[in-house]
Amino acid sequence: MTGIVAAVAALAGLPALAGLPAFAGLDAIVPLANLGQLADLVDPTTLFGIFLNAISKFGVYVTIAAGLSLIFGLMGVLNFAHGSLTMIGAYLGGALMLTFVSEATGDVVAIAFFFLALALVFAIVTAAGAVIEIGLIRPIYDRPPLFQILLTFGLVLVLEEGMRIVLDVYDVQPNVDWTEAAGTRPDVLGFHEILGVTTRGIYQFEAVVGILVVAATWWFLTRTSYGLHIRAGSEDAEMAQALGIDVRRSFTVVFGVGAGLAALAGVMLMWDPRYGASVGLGVETLLIAFVVVIVGGLGSFKGTVVAAAIVAVVDALASWMLVNDVVTFSGLPELVIFLVLVGVLVVRPQGLFGVEEVGGH
Amino acid sequence: MSAIELDDIHTYYGQSHVLQGVSLAVEEGENVALLGRNGVGKTTTLRSILQLTPPRAGTVRINGEDVTGLATHEVAQRGVGWVPEERRMFSHLTVAENVRAAIPPDADPAERMQLAFDRFPDLEDLREHEAGSLSGGQQQMLAIARALVGDNDILLVDEPSEGLAPLIVEEVVEALQSLPDDKTLVLVEQNVPMALALTDRFYVIDHGEVVAEGDSAEASLEDERIRRYLTA
Amino acid sequence: MAISPDSSDPADGADGSGADGSPTTGADGPTSAAGGSPSPDGGETGEASRAATAEAEGRTALDTVRSIVSDHAVHIGVIVLFAIYPLAYTQLIALPVIGQELELLFPRTRTMVAVLYVGLFAMSFDFISGYTGYLSFGHSMFYGIGAYLVVLSVNGKVPFLGGIESLLLLALVGGLLAMGAALLVGAVSFRLSGVYFAMVTLGFAEVAHVFIRNWDYVSSNPRDGASLGNNAVSIGLPEWGPLPNWNVTIGQIVGSEFPNVLGTGFDLSKADVSFYAVGIVVLLSYFAMQRIIHSPYGKVMIAIRENEERARAVGYNTFYYKMGAFAMSAFFAAIAGGLLAGYKRSVAPENTFDLFVTADALLAAIIGGFGTLAGALYGVLFQDTLEDFLSTEEGLAPYLRENLSESTMDTVVGDGIDLLLNGRAGLYIGIVFILFVLYVPEGILGTLRSRLGGTVAEKLPERFERYRGGNQ
Repeated sequence: MTGIVAAVAALAGLPALAGLPAFAGLDAIVPLANLGQLADLVDPTTLFGIFLNAISKFGVYVTIAAGLSLIFGLMGVLNFAHGSLTMIGAYLGGALMLTFVSEATGDVVAIAFFFLALALVFAIVTAAGAVIEIGLIRPIYDRPPLFQILLTFGLVLVLEEGMRIVLDVYDVQPNVDWTEAAGTRPDVLGFHEILGVTTRGIYQFEAVVGILVVAATWWFLTRTSYGLHIRAGSEDAEMAQALGIDVRRSFTVVFGVGAGLAALAGVMLMWDPRYGASVGLGVETLLIAFVVVIVGGLGSFKGTVVAAAIVAVVDALASWMLVNDVVTFSGLPELVIFLVLVGVLVVRPQGLFGVEEVGGH
Repeated sequence: MSAIELDDIHTYYGQSHVLQGVSLAVEEGENVALLGRNGVGKTTTLRSILQLTPPRAGTVRINGEDVTGLATHEVAQRGVGWVPEERRMFSHLTVAENVRAAIPPDADPAERMQLAFDRFPDLEDLREHEAGSLSGGQQQMLAIARALVGDNDILLVDEPSEGLAPLIVEEVVEALQSLPDDKTLVLVEQNVPMALALTDRFYVIDHGEVVAEGDSAEASLEDERIRRYLTA
Repeated sequence: MAISPDSSDPADGADGSGADGSPTTGADGPTSAAGGSPSPDGGETGEASRAATAEAEGRTALDTVRSIVSDHAVHIGVIVLFAIYPLAYTQLIALPVIGQELELLFPRTRTMVAVLYVGLFAMSFDFISGYTGYLSFGHSMFYGIGAYLVVLSVNGKVPFLGGIESLLLLALVGGLLAMGAALLVGAVSFRLSGVYFAMVTLGFAEVAHVFIRNWDYVSSNPRDGASLGNNAVSIGLPEWGPLPNWNVTIGQIVGSEFPNVLGTGFDLSKADVSFYAVGIVVLLSYFAMQRIIHSPYGKVMIAIRENEERARAVGYNTFYYKMGAFAMSAFFAAIAGGLLAGYKRSVAPENTFDLFVTADALLAAIIGGFGTLAGALYGVLFQDTLEDFLSTEEGLAPYLRENLSESTMDTVVGDGIDLLLNGRAGLYIGIVFILFVLYVPEGILGTLRSRLGGTVAEKLPERFERYRGGNQ
């Protein structure tokens, strides 16, 4: 307790340092006068607010990254098209919700339809992913891994431009958030107060969905034989094959499911005011997914979950600091995410829980 | 119809011509040893049978069926089990999961698991342990258990005694000796006395070819056929 | 003569091989003292020995010149094609009857300038990624450093560098800065390999990207970037002592122009002048990179790509070689960035530091041929030609709209044109790219090399010789 008091006292004294020339440069980015604000972190309401923000971000990040983690873990393929699939999921989800729901629909019914949309989008995109795997990825499986990454990159271009064409047909603006679809979000997920913190219901909703995704994926990996085969194949594909496991079919399943999960994240983000369905969603989510999966470590779903939590907490803290002028650099939250990536890789190149060998090859 | 028949196979690792025309046959229920120095192609022979490193020329027949060019899992599903060098556990999976992964889809998992643990009771105590935490000997037993659980009549065993203390090697030998008679065994081993004790016949491989063969009962380390090719 | 981005204008001297080929040793290619067969290293040794032999056999200076030309025939051919492009283009689009169609098919000179500096960036990317096998996914960071340094200096925001007009000098400083950044990033990143190396370099680049997007020192709205305003930059010889004052101002709108050059009746527009100025810088940079690839240093780079363990076992300090190659690639990337800034006269985060700038370079390198150096330039040429062809202002869509009858335009055809052809270059580039990855993994130049059995500069003249010999 005394430690905290001492720390707070020290922070209060920091503004005096701002006068010194050596600190002037730092002051421009981190106004020392405002460092005193850090004392607010002791306040439970502030902490709770950051906590709510963190778990909602966790829900978003873990859902975005889950699919990529499976694909990367088993096949060693860094699926560049992951973000585009999220983007497509967002638009698909939006279109479905606009068909299901109207002004008159009640909140509970709307949420029920939302889960239906999630399931449908998941099913459709999983199937599409399996087709893509069989048609485009399998033929080049024996080539150097670079080519699989390249192929998924070509997919990005095709999927993005293809999406724009479709949007053009339906007269939807591609570069701005699809507010019409987001309008299907029920009011119960709007602003409300919890324990003195103003937040949106959608954020808690995302946290719940995120936890459900983690649970479902965990169940899939540990309680089904498909999951067992995938985990075995991630560690040692040759040995798995020698046991009679058709690792190539696992690849198709994993790629499909991974794609489906990406799209599922997109449906959720369609309702999220911080993101929204737009063509730009692809790039935003892709980078986050990369960071989370790489930081978590190749081949480890547990690693992805832990990494998503870490990145979410760091992001929430940085956002709070920005909003409260502890830092004036507006890019800070994005920046720290990449600093986490670089930091972890430098200290532990295979990621936090990385299995040393690359799966698949 | 032999259980395994290799007809003049040539296998490459990249540009390296490792197997240069290997031919051999193993009858059902026979136990055969592959002897030879390091690097002559013994492991590659096993890999060629499983199509893990498919031969570029020649034929591989399992129970009369030409399996050259099939995918590895298809060969494995035809009853070929592999106990590889270095054991190759799925280290992050538990012992139980390692065994489960090997159980064919149409078998009863609980029943098979119990059979495996009956044969290897020590493993049952370790069933929830991560496979990576097991000792060398325990891993070897697990590798053998894995191969047995999968409806395999043919077992390809690669250097099971490698890196193990003599006491443990005895246990491994016991385990291999207690295999049912109807199993066909191809054993790659550097430990010649052990190999000869466990098998009916042997082949000697040198520079990617079969250079000698004979009956194990009549042979020993002193045997001219063996000594020539095994001294370092 | 049609300039198509495909195999009809092959040129390269860069040694090495396609993405997975075995290393060819160009330096000991076929040489014979008396014959005229080219060796890519042909510069010094070939000429010296040939000159000596020439003396001995009493051949004239003309013969020596002729053999030099035939050695580098392919290079010279390509350079000539590029050199006449602006003038040829102006003449072609002025032709009656087919002028408009030709204007559609061929990229504007303005686009060609971009092809040059983006091509240089893509070549610098290929230099590190294609030859050492280490994918520099953060390469746009170096491009951005070069570009932003130029703009910031000209705007007086960089100490010591205010008031300098020479683009080359500023680009040089940018290049050195980029080298420093590369060494820092490399020191940390080269402990990793494969996907992890790519990701860590990407991480660094994104840090830089986010930073530059939000740093308000750059301009009042850093998200939109910064511009040169009314300040001029020029390319040419520095004002120093006895050097002649050869300088041209470059830039999209403000550059120098030379009507009626030397009384020939030809005009050099602003775009033309920029094209030549930028072109010379790019050409020199290309030759520098190519020489390095051909040298023993380049051989080690390729050895690292093929089997780094073995290279290390043989005794090479692969870390130093990787760092050196990375630094050099960063240098040229920054030069390209400087040219971008000088020509477009403004920079923004999304055309410099963005991941997709690197991604475009990767695309171009693959289509042109990974690990061929010049292939990257052709890849960019292909991309930009296609983009010009399908552009919304002057491309296929407006052309069809003008030339097809109203009734046709009213139907599905008209809608289809608007939907599928109006600025949709990305779609087709993506499809072509996927097809290349599946079926032409070595890219255009790489496949050509495989067919010829060696670098094009080496083998094509031989083929012609054989052809001519057969017909005599």
